[in-house]
Amino acid sequence: MSVFMDLNISYTTDRKRLQAMIETAAHLGYSTVAINYTVEFQQKKQEIPRPKSVTELFEKLPIVQGKSSPIKVVNRLTVVTADAAHFRPTAEYKSFDLVAVYPKTEKLFHTACMTFDVDIICIATTEKQPFHFKRSPVNGAIERGVFFEICYTPAIRDSTMRKYTIANALCLMEICKGKNVILSSAAEKVLELRGPYDIANLGLVFGLSEGDAKAAVSTNCRSVLLHGETRTTAFGIIHTVKKVQPTTKQTDEAEAPASKKTKTENI
Amino acid sequence: MSPELERFPRNILVCERSNFLNEKSRHGIHVSKHYFNYKVSIFIPECGILPAGLSSVIKSFNSYFLVQKLPVYKLIEEVFLDEVVKKGGFYALSHKTRIDEDNTIAFLPSGQMILSLDKDTYEQLGLEGKPSLYNHRNARRYVVTVDFTDKSMTVGGKRYQRVLLGLKERVPLTCDFLLSRYSTGTDEDGALQGLLSQYSFEVIRPAQYSQTLRIVPCPTLHPSDLQGKAGSCDPHQFLEWLGSVNMGIRCDNSASDFLSTYVCPEPQDSMSQALLYTITGFLIPEDIQSLLQELQRYFDEPKFSPWLSLTVHGFVDSPVSWGTMEHGFLSSGENFYNFVCFKNQDYWLHMATGALDGCPP
Repeated sequence: MSVFMDLNISYTTDRKRLQAMIETAAHLGYSTVAINYTVEFQQKKQEIPRPKSVTELFEKLPIVQGKSSPIKVVNRLTVVTADAAHFRPTAEYKSFDLVAVYPKTEKLFHTACMTFDVDIICIATTEKQPFHFKRSPVNGAIERGVFFEICYTPAIRDSTMRKYTIANALCLMEICKGKNVILSSAAEKVLELRGPYDIANLGLVFGLSEGDAKAAVSTNCRSVLLHGETRTTAFGIIHTVKKVQPTTKQTDEAEAPASKKTKTENI
Repeated sequence: MSPELERFPRNILVCERSNFLNEKSRHGIHVSKHYFNYKVSIFIPECGILPAGLSSVIKSFNSYFLVQKLPVYKLIEEVFLDEVVKKGGFYALSHKTRIDEDNTIAFLPSGQMILSLDKDTYEQLGLEGKPSLYNHRNARRYVVTVDFTDKSMTVGGKRYQRVLLGLKERVPLTCDFLLSRYSTGTDEDGALQGLLSQYSFEVIRPAQYSQTLRIVPCPTLHPSDLQGKAGSCDPHQFLEWLGSVNMGIRCDNSASDFLSTYVCPEPQDSMSQALLYTITGFLIPEDIQSLLQELQRYFDEPKFSPWLSLTVHGFVDSPVSWGTMEHGFLSSGENFYNFVCFKNQDYWLHMATGALDGCPP
């Protein structure tokens, strides 16, 4: 019952391709998209990229088909981790609206579900899941408000990957019962995007019910965005804004991440 | 295959059979309660051109207005409310808003305003409403119904002020609107024109499209056999065939055709020609009522046509289907009804809705 969103459009340095993808997403009916910057620490020391501001990409964002408002574009970071040390939430993470993690081992999956400060946990779609999902980390993630993401473009590209995507998705659905799941493309090309109602139908193949499948493209994505906003606030209640006045000691305190302050000071 | 995949989203079809001359016939009520109509299709077998009577009725259809960026509170301000909304016959529907994504606003001719809001807007607006009947897991959509003809909603009263304040200051909802007013001729449209002149608007006539089909196989229908048990075809098959004719889908089921395997249901007759006439726009029930009356008169003179059909489609994004029954959109939001009229003034009425809908009356 909320607007349709696609929270995974791969970032590419080719500006025209990115613009074309966002225009196609607006044409298909998505009201919000997230540009995904992927970071993999296993390779030689990689730095966390700075997200490009949206105004750099478009002077005027395209209008969503069938409505009169322009499409909304947010930035997202995906950290591919094989080791717990890879995920270190630094200040650079704060410049992204959404943070996702792609755990490669079972131990990391458990830690990511229970403790990591992320919004999205990606599920493997290009390979067979190396570990089984267990009920306790999955339920822990659901309680914390973390969502599991299934990308559908590998299923479009290759038939072997299609098998893996469906198999992994069905495993997940058995454990999580269709809750806290989002579906998104991991589109690198314009032709890999599909319309929201088609993806809701694809959700049925992945084991979701009709209502859950439609929620996976709309309501759950909205929840993910709100969860991303709460990472910059204290318990999702207090929101700090930079004061425009010359910096005083008080302003410095207000700018420090509110979550690090003790509870009494926040009141 | 998993059992979920074999299930389709449910749809409901209600079929009624009666005679136009019967006093207790409810065809008038059904037509007048279906407030927001988008498309009307007339299908007459063995007819080449539109009869003059029908043509003149269609010419007299009401024009409607498309207003850009109209704030909703303007439609409930005192003057407009008293002169237009409360007097009845005023239809308004928000344009380019999706019922499953955005906030949708509708004004019913009975003087009610329906707001179908998402959770954020509802909580900010602060008006009393009910969660939608079609919420999945959590309540994400709420429906606020305001009845301006109610005694407690007099202009100047507390409840009215709260609604006006909410829409004016708390959440100033603004969207494009489709407006139509059923004028009985003597009413002045001063207030409506006054409001429209403040914003950019267009006056639009319903669009018409005519097509004469050649050599069309049509199912043979017996007026008394609604369910298709003795000679006629099943209502589902009939509606499917009618839909394929409307869409221009070939029904010959030739071996080389992989796109369509639709066939005309048995028993069938081949008609040498058939007329398909479509009218689209923001159509009000009163116009459709007069069209239906004219269609009843079609069989006053002897004609070759054994039957004729009138299909009326509702807006897929309207918040109500029949009366104040809530309407939703899962993967489709159809809500339409279809009359089949016979020579002896018998009629069939099929009313169909989709997944997120109540049962038609």
